[in-house]
Amino acid sequence: MNAFALALRNLARQRRRSLLMIAVVTFGFAAFALAGGFVAQSFETLREGTIRTVGHLQAVDPRAVGRAEDVTLEFGIHDAHRARAVASQDPDVAAVLPRIEFVGLATNGSRSIPFLGVGVDPEPEAKATLAPEMLVKGKYLSGDGDDSVVLGTGLANALGVGVGGRITLLATTPDGSLNAVDGIVAGLVDVKIKELNDRYLAAGIGLVSRLVQSEDIVSKLVVFLKPRVDEAKVGERLKAALHAAGFPLAIQRWQDLAVFYGQVRLLYIGIFGFIGAVLVVIVILSAAIVMAMAVTERTREIGTLRALGTRPAGVRKMFLVEGVALALIGCAAGALLALIVRWVLNASGLTLPPPPGGTTGAPLNVKLYPLTYGVGFVAMLVTMTVAAYFPARRASRLPIVDALTHV
Amino acid sequence: MKEGAGALVEGRDLHRAYVLGQARVPAVRGVSISIAPGEFVALQGPSGSGKTTLLNLLGLLDSPDSGQVVVDAKEADTLTEDERSDLRRDRFGFVFQTFNLIPVLTAEENVGYPLALKGVEGNARRDRARELLASVGLPDKAEVRPDLLSGGQRQRVAIARALANDPAVVFADEPTANLDSHTADEILELMRGINASRGVSFLFATHDPNVVRRARRVVTLHDGMIESDRAL
Repeated sequence: MNAFALALRNLARQRRRSLLMIAVVTFGFAAFALAGGFVAQSFETLREGTIRTVGHLQAVDPRAVGRAEDVTLEFGIHDAHRARAVASQDPDVAAVLPRIEFVGLATNGSRSIPFLGVGVDPEPEAKATLAPEMLVKGKYLSGDGDDSVVLGTGLANALGVGVGGRITLLATTPDGSLNAVDGIVAGLVDVKIKELNDRYLAAGIGLVSRLVQSEDIVSKLVVFLKPRVDEAKVGERLKAALHAAGFPLAIQRWQDLAVFYGQVRLLYIGIFGFIGAVLVVIVILSAAIVMAMAVTERTREIGTLRALGTRPAGVRKMFLVEGVALALIGCAAGALLALIVRWVLNASGLTLPPPPGGTTGAPLNVKLYPLTYGVGFVAMLVTMTVAAYFPARRASRLPIVDALTHV
Repeated sequence: MKEGAGALVEGRDLHRAYVLGQARVPAVRGVSISIAPGEFVALQGPSGSGKTTLLNLLGLLDSPDSGQVVVDAKEADTLTEDERSDLRRDRFGFVFQTFNLIPVLTAEENVGYPLALKGVEGNARRDRARELLASVGLPDKAEVRPDLLSGGQRQRVAIARALANDPAVVFADEPTANLDSHTADEILELMRGINASRGVSFLFATHDPNVVRRARRVVTLHDGMIESDRAL
C-alpha cells in the first residue's frame, strides 16, 4: 500500500474531522480563485482601458516629462507628420496618433467654462481608443477638417448645450496671444471620471491647430502596439529611430503615465493580499488543529509504527501526505465550487459600484483565470504542508515507549 | 545465558529511572542479561519490577540512563535513530498486550507493513504476508480488518507481523493478558512452535504462569534487579 492510499484510509477513518478540514480548504480555495479571478479581471479591464486611453507608449519632448507647459505647445513636437511617419515604420507599431493638449475657455455666449482640450486625428483615434465607446449622445468626431467638438457630459451641462449646439473656444497660442474659433457639438461623452467629465473637450487636430495657430506641431505622439509585443523593446527601438531621424524625443510607457492604474492596482493587491493572508491563517490554524488532534489520537499507533522499524522521517511523511491529500481533495472540490459560483455570479447580472473617482459601474464579470487556480492550488498545498509539518514533526519525535503507553 | 559471546541481544549494567512528578522512580537497576539464538525466555516479577522497562531497553524502544545494550555486537548508543529503527525492523519482532494492529490496514497489510518498510514490493510482499497468516492459522482472514477479528485472531496477526522480516528475537509484552485462557494457550503453543521450528528467540515480559511454565529460561525481576535467572 502506498503512502497516499494509507493517508486516504486514515482520513476516511476520521471522517467528520476530515470533512471539516476539506470544507475549510474547499471554501478557502474557492474564495481565493474567485477573488483572484475578479481582481485579475479588474486589472485587465483597467489595463486595457488605460492603454486605450494613453496608448502603450508616448513620444514627447523630454522637457515635457513631469512638467506642465507655461504656454500652449511650449514643448511641442515640430514636423509632426514626419515624426509620425518615422514612428509608424516600426513593424510592431499598430497606430501612431498625434495629440495636441491644451487648456482654454468654452463659452456659449453668456457663460464661459474652462476646459481641458485634446486635439486628435479622429478616424484612427476612434479605431484605437475608447472614445467612441464613451459616447452617450450624438456622434464622435468624424473628420479632421470640420468644426465638430465632443464634450464631456458635465461640461455640456455646465454650458447648457447639447448635440448640435454651437460654442466658442478660446485658447492661447504658442506666442501667448488669445485666439477663438467656433465649434459645433457633435457628441457628448462620459469619460467615467467626474472631474474630467466636467472639463473634457475633444476636437479634430485641424480645428485645434487653427485655434492655437500652430502648423504641424503636436504635444505628443501616442503609440499603439500590436498584440503581445515587448513594450520596452519597441520603446527603445522607437527612441533610436526618432533620434536618428532628428527627433530627440523621450518615450514614456503607459505604466509611467497611468498613476490611477498603479494606485488602484496597489489598492486591490492590498485588499486581495489581506484576504489571502486571512484565508491562509484560517487554513493553517484549522489544519494544524486537525493534524494535532490526529497525532494525539494516533499516538499509540505512531509508537507501534516506530517499534516496527518506521523511521522518524517515515512518520513525518505519513502525516504530511495526509495534509497533502486533504489539500488535493479540498482544491478539487474548491475548483468545482468556484466554477459553479462564478457561473451563478456572472449570470446574476449584478453591477459593481464605480471605481474610486469613477461615474459608472461595470457588470460583475468574474473571469476564469487558470493562473489564480494554479496559485490557489500551490498556496493551499504549501499551507497544508506547513500546517501538517509541525504536528508531523512532533509525532516523529515522540518517545516510542511513551507513545505505546499513551491512553 | 547471563552474558557471553554469541548473544543476539545483551544488556550490560542497565539502569533506567522515570520521573513521576517530583520523584525519580528507578525501574531497572544494574541489570545485565543476554539473549542467545533460539531461547524462549520469560521475564517475570510483580508489577513495577521492571519487566516491561527491561524489555523496552533490550528491544531498542527505549534508552538506558546508563549501561549498554548491544545488538549483534553493535553498541546501541552509538547508533543513530534511523539505524536503531532499521535494526528493530530487520532483527526484532514485537508482540504487544493490546495487539497494536494498524486499524486501517487489513490483516495481510498489517503483516506486510514491516516488509514494505524493508522495500519488499507488491506480489512478493502479499505472498509472504499470506504465507505468514497461514502459518498462524489465519489463511482466510487476509482481507479482514482488525476490528472484525477476535482478540486471539488479532494476536495471531500480530505474531505473523512480528515474524515478517525473519527476526532474530521477538519481544512480547504480556501477549496473553487480554486473551481468555484457551486462546492464550493456543497463542503460546503457536509461539513455542515458531521458536522450535524457526529458531527465533522469544523474550516475554509476563505475569502469566502459563507463559512461565512453557519458558526454557525464567528471569525473575524484583525492584528493578534480577532476583534469579533459571534455565528450565
